[in-house]
Amino acid sequence: MIDVFSYVPAIVLLPFFSFLIALGAGKYLPKGGAFGGIAATAGSFLLSLWVLATVAGGGAANRTVYTWASAGGIGPTDVELSFGILVDPLSALMLVIVTLVALLVHVFSLGYMNDEGETGLPRYYAGLGLFTASMLGFVVADNLLMAFMFFELVGLCSYLLIGFHFREPGPPSAAKKAFLVTRFGDYFFLIGVVAVLATFGTAQFGGPESFPALAEAALAGEGSVAWTPGGLDLQTWFTVVGLLVLGGVVGKSAQFPLHTWLPDAMEGPTPVSALIHAATMVAAGVYLVARMYGFYALTPTTLAVIAFIGGFTALFAATMGLVKDELKQVLAYSTISQYGYMMLALGAGGYVAAVFHLTTHAFFKALLFLGAGAVIIAMHHNEDMWDMGGLKSKMPVTYYTFLAGSLALAGIFPFAGFWSKDEILYEALVHAPGEPLLFGGYLMGLLAVPVTAFYTFRMVFLTFHGDPRSDTARDPEPVRWNVKGPLTVLGTLAVVTGLINMVPVQKVLGLEGIDVLHRWLDNEWGGIEGLSSHHYGDIGPYSSEYIVGGEVATVLVGAAVSLGLALTGLLVAWRLYNVPSPTEHTAKLGGIKDVLYNNYYLDELQVWLAYRTEDVAGGADTFDQGIVDGVVNGVSSVSLIGGDRIRQVQNGVVSQYAALLTLGLVALILVLGVTGGWFL
Amino acid sequence: MTAVASSIPPEWYLLLAAAVFCIGLFGVLTRRDALYFLMSVELMMNAANINFVAFALYYGDLTGQVFALFVIALAAAEVAIGIGIILVLYRNFGVTDVTVPTEMRW
Amino acid sequence: MSDGDSKRRGRIVPAVAVGLLFGTMALTALSADFAAEGAGFPADASVVHNIGYALFNLGAYDIATIPSEGFLAAFLIAAVALDVAVDGAVYLAKREEDGTIIAAVGQAFTDGGERQ
Repeated sequence: MIDVFSYVPAIVLLPFFSFLIALGAGKYLPKGGAFGGIAATAGSFLLSLWVLATVAGGGAANRTVYTWASAGGIGPTDVELSFGILVDPLSALMLVIVTLVALLVHVFSLGYMNDEGETGLPRYYAGLGLFTASMLGFVVADNLLMAFMFFELVGLCSYLLIGFHFREPGPPSAAKKAFLVTRFGDYFFLIGVVAVLATFGTAQFGGPESFPALAEAALAGEGSVAWTPGGLDLQTWFTVVGLLVLGGVVGKSAQFPLHTWLPDAMEGPTPVSALIHAATMVAAGVYLVARMYGFYALTPTTLAVIAFIGGFTALFAATMGLVKDELKQVLAYSTISQYGYMMLALGAGGYVAAVFHLTTHAFFKALLFLGAGAVIIAMHHNEDMWDMGGLKSKMPVTYYTFLAGSLALAGIFPFAGFWSKDEILYEALVHAPGEPLLFGGYLMGLLAVPVTAFYTFRMVFLTFHGDPRSDTARDPEPVRWNVKGPLTVLGTLAVVTGLINMVPVQKVLGLEGIDVLHRWLDNEWGGIEGLSSHHYGDIGPYSSEYIVGGEVATVLVGAAVSLGLALTGLLVAWRLYNVPSPTEHTAKLGGIKDVLYNNYYLDELQVWLAYRTEDVAGGADTFDQGIVDGVVNGVSSVSLIGGDRIRQVQNGVVSQYAALLTLGLVALILVLGVTGGWFL
Repeated sequence: MTAVASSIPPEWYLLLAAAVFCIGLFGVLTRRDALYFLMSVELMMNAANINFVAFALYYGDLTGQVFALFVIALAAAEVAIGIGIILVLYRNFGVTDVTVPTEMRW
Repeated sequence: MSDGDSKRRGRIVPAVAVGLLFGTMALTALSADFAAEGAGFPADASVVHNIGYALFNLGAYDIATIPSEGFLAAFLIAAVALDVAVDGAVYLAKREEDGTIIAAVGQAFTDGGERQ
């Protein structure tokens, strides 16, 4: 039998080759290298499906492909730095998601970029290829260091793509912001990587010698770690390490307080936004937590922090999305909010729920962004929703797919988002008693539900319903198959993806076996020992409590509450905005409106902080320039001047050399005489 | 066998030698003509020879005398080389002034 | 340096250095502790003969009357060194003219010592 896992590197390398081709020969190719990218991602997608099928057939792989550094390490273990692949149910699933979304984004780009006559297309497709390749490399990474490298590559590609329209003022600035803000988090991640390597001597994710396994053994008293700093007990140190790595996650997944880059990243081309939000950059953070969940599950403090950050971000970002006027801005805040939900799930011990939401979100958010892209094409790149309206009849395919995505985002039964969001809230609810942070996260997550539904449908109604409010909206530009095709695929997925994990139905009706994703991640079809949701549940700190009498009742109440809240939000939006000529209602919010418009002044706060940092840096700079450099320069000028003076002595006149020799001899005799006592 | 000992104390030989040596050294330091140089160096060597001979007598051992002989022989060799160098010097610079060639500088 | 001022100034440093050297050497010599009477040579011994014996390591055959070390090796080495010195002097005195090496000695013979 052919070993499919030998082809896993090819999944990563195919988009990389498309990057090289687009970069090197893109301007000679038709469509600026688009077909190369489409072929590459299609190939990767097919290979990923094959991998998925193999994993479903019981296969899994955890192997090192290339060791690039190896040295005697800390303690008894040798540290080996390597590239490898880790294919288990989680990464196989993620591979399929990423390659599928990347493929659709490539196809969509034909309509969004090529048909719109953009310039610099080879650069664009090269960026897309590298972006996809980096994310795929990140997904299959078998150790933390490799993951970090690809994590950084993803960040670089986001910089390149967000700043695609580099001649305008906004995009380069947004690109820099995205790069710097995520880099701020990655700084902690890097320290975390070093800490993991120093502590365990390995950064492998899977297998008996992996760092989660070692940490688990050490906490159980069955093993020891190579190093802990200064007598910290293991639990505390693991918490610190977990939080350090979490820094990178918070930056990439745009969690509070490092979320500010993401709305600005909307300056990039819309297909890139879809890629960033659905499958690559932002998903990387959550995926990383899921990947090393065996480590996080060991430290309840970290989990609680993750849950609280997640819940807070979910609510916080949702409120900011309420008042935005631009289509993509609303979607950006919804992304932050949805990733907050995933973090809440992870922190609440809902590993499967998080992966489930990651999956459904990837599809419906890609759908929404591509739909928004279609609207933007139709509107001649005017993104202001107040200029739209009435597009429903003009572009039905976009409308219905966008509606499906919106229903999924709002969490309306039976669309994909309902199942995953409901499971997250359910997990948080049953694990919350006795965990104040988690309970806080749950409450905020719950509050975010109606807000999400409200802003989502405000967006839908403003864009598609009512009367056209501008000339372009009355006569939108038609979109072609390459826009409608991806939308249709994603629209279908947004409707049906929820079916892969219908836990509530199973619990209520007692049907066995329809929680496919649960069983998938539980290694029921095969996987790697120690990387299963069952294992994570065993080592996690939570126990379930059903507050409303019994499991079934809790499930029903939880689902009813979240669905009810979502419908409330939807109905409010309907009342306010589903009218022929909607008006702005933001004025009723009074002072809060300005706060929300300005994103709670967080950007200003960060700028202020940056300036304070600049002050500190200025002080350090003065110290550096004055004292450190002063000493260095002083030493050098003393040597220089001294050398210059002493050089005069070396004038090549033999007589002077001899005179100096004479003086030296005198000095020598005197020294010897005095020390030897000759002159007494 | 009666020993013939010098009635002059060795300090005086040393002073003489030091004086001759310093005269030679002063010549080396001040003269600029290479030929004077050689002569001055000769003086310095002979100052050393005075010491050799004086101490040979003082210790009643011929080694010093023989050594003085060797110094004279090697001084001859040195003069031979020195004259050769002066010739080259003259050929390259047209003078025998030792301050003109300053190629030994840094 | 034609003017006397700079010439004099050029001599001050050497004079001081040499004076200092003489001072220290004299101080050293005068403060050294010597026996009043030296050993001296035997009255009837021939110094020249004994130098000859010393040069050829003949002190061991009981013909030397003044003690000395043997210098045969040093004698031979000095001979070789002198030879080298003469060769070196001749080599240095030769000069290259139009690619041919002209021996200074040979030329001195032919043109009466006039060097061109």
